[in-house]
Amino acid sequence: MKTWEKLRKDPSLWPRYFVREKVTRAIRTFFDEREFHEVETPILIAHPPAESYLDVFQTTMFDRHRHPATAYLSTSPEVPLKKLMVAGLGNCYSLTKSFRNMETQSKLHNPEFTILEWYRIGADYKDIMKDCEQLLLFINRLTASTSMLRYQGEKIDLTAPWERLTVAESFKKYAKIDFDMFFDIEEARRIAKEKGYQVHARNTWEELFDQIFLNEIELHLGHGKPTILYEFPGVMGALAKKKSSDPRFAERFEFYIAGLELGDCYSELTDWKEQKERFKKELAEVKRLGKTIYNYDHDFIKALKVGLPKCSGIAVGVDRLTMLLTDTDDIADTLLFPGKEEFSLLE
Amino acid sequence: MSSITTAEFRKGMFIIFKDEPHQIVEFQHVNPGKGSAFVRTRLKSLKTSRVQEFTYKSGDSVEEFPVETHEMQYLYKEGPDQTGVKDKYVFMDNYSYEQYSLPESLLGDFVSYLKPNDTYQVMVNDDTAVGLRFPKKVRLLVTEAEEGARGDTVSGANKVVTVETGAKVSVPLFIKQGDTIAIDPETGTYLERA
Repeated sequence: MKTWEKLRKDPSLWPRYFVREKVTRAIRTFFDEREFHEVETPILIAHPPAESYLDVFQTTMFDRHRHPATAYLSTSPEVPLKKLMVAGLGNCYSLTKSFRNMETQSKLHNPEFTILEWYRIGADYKDIMKDCEQLLLFINRLTASTSMLRYQGEKIDLTAPWERLTVAESFKKYAKIDFDMFFDIEEARRIAKEKGYQVHARNTWEELFDQIFLNEIELHLGHGKPTILYEFPGVMGALAKKKSSDPRFAERFEFYIAGLELGDCYSELTDWKEQKERFKKELAEVKRLGKTIYNYDHDFIKALKVGLPKCSGIAVGVDRLTMLLTDTDDIADTLLFPGKEEFSLLE
Repeated sequence: MSSITTAEFRKGMFIIFKDEPHQIVEFQHVNPGKGSAFVRTRLKSLKTSRVQEFTYKSGDSVEEFPVETHEMQYLYKEGPDQTGVKDKYVFMDNYSYEQYSLPESLLGDFVSYLKPNDTYQVMVNDDTAVGLRFPKKVRLLVTEAEEGARGDTVSGANKVVTVETGAKVSVPLFIKQGDTIAIDPETGTYLERA
């Protein structure tokens, strides 16, 4: 049965779907009060940002003579927002659709999803942490009139300050791993093997990191209070600025509520030369992985050359946020038209 | 035993995890970051029925635990005995007439839809029953239904009836005692009048 049929049969389901409109209204009020500009960014684009871990949707555009040109569906509004900041827009946000391919068979993904990205001029990642604390509390108070979030039998207190944990601290605390040692690929292999994971010659350092993170750490995050997990290894995050006091790490954080990742923040990389190098590396990786190949956006590098002001920004998954506020464990339950009702491939 | 990779994972399949046979209850592909792909699984131990999560790297290899599917007739439930052994459900192989039993822990909620003399697909490894392949629907006779029940007005027109195995099911108002209905045993929901 499709969602519209279920709703027709059982009107008591409607309130769950009305939470989303409250969430988007709360987001707009929050940023309006802080004088951020809301801008529309394109969904149909010529150059996706070079991020090798994402799979893009590709389509073809034709002119009236049927000459073809490759087009893509946007994976995030980040690049157009940064161009606007170069142009002088100031603090800004976009609440829009983004698309990511190959994320099937998951209760946490839908191929098209609603993303909120905001950028603060002159800020770094620590300022955005505070924005997150305030925004979540604001939304929950507006939708549920409380600072307490109830999710899947858990109670999570959204008031600031949230728990702050560096990636290195989380490895120590939950996996008993000394992260200084883990940085060395040979040590990382030895540690993973000792823990009983399969280690093959083809496995990258990131894979070893992720497997330990997914099995031993992620589930512990965001219980009782949300967790801000910060300072990720520099190799993970193509558009993040490196930490000046320890360049092995990037100024990046993610926040978790009840084990669920909700947002990913960077102090934005403003150095055009480094950005260009990283894009090239990412695209080489895209090629190696046999994914859809595209060119990086030269116009973006041009904009960075002109000068992106110091800023920091974050992407938050609005569908996952709605999952939390409707107390459901399946993203499809927050969508009036879930992808899996449209495509049997996603079932 | 044969070695398979995560690409061959199927729901309901049996694999060896930490030296013990486990059933894949659920699996999802996850892409947490740079170029790496993972398969998150929920694995149910055949020995203890305990469910735990494990995330494999895409391409990791595991040993498949071989099972054969036998058609068997459900005979009866063997109550808890004095030695403290819990409820067991006894089946008979339709071809060899050999008897096998399954503990309640491996049947879960499906026990409320088991009907004596009906045939089920029972999975066997090394002459031990290890599980039952749950059918997509079960057909059962309605034994108790209130006539003209007004039902729950919020959710439209539903009422609760009892079927021959004793299970209670929420059905549309037009279902009467003596009807046979189809139920999805996984969710316990009414599907259609058979």
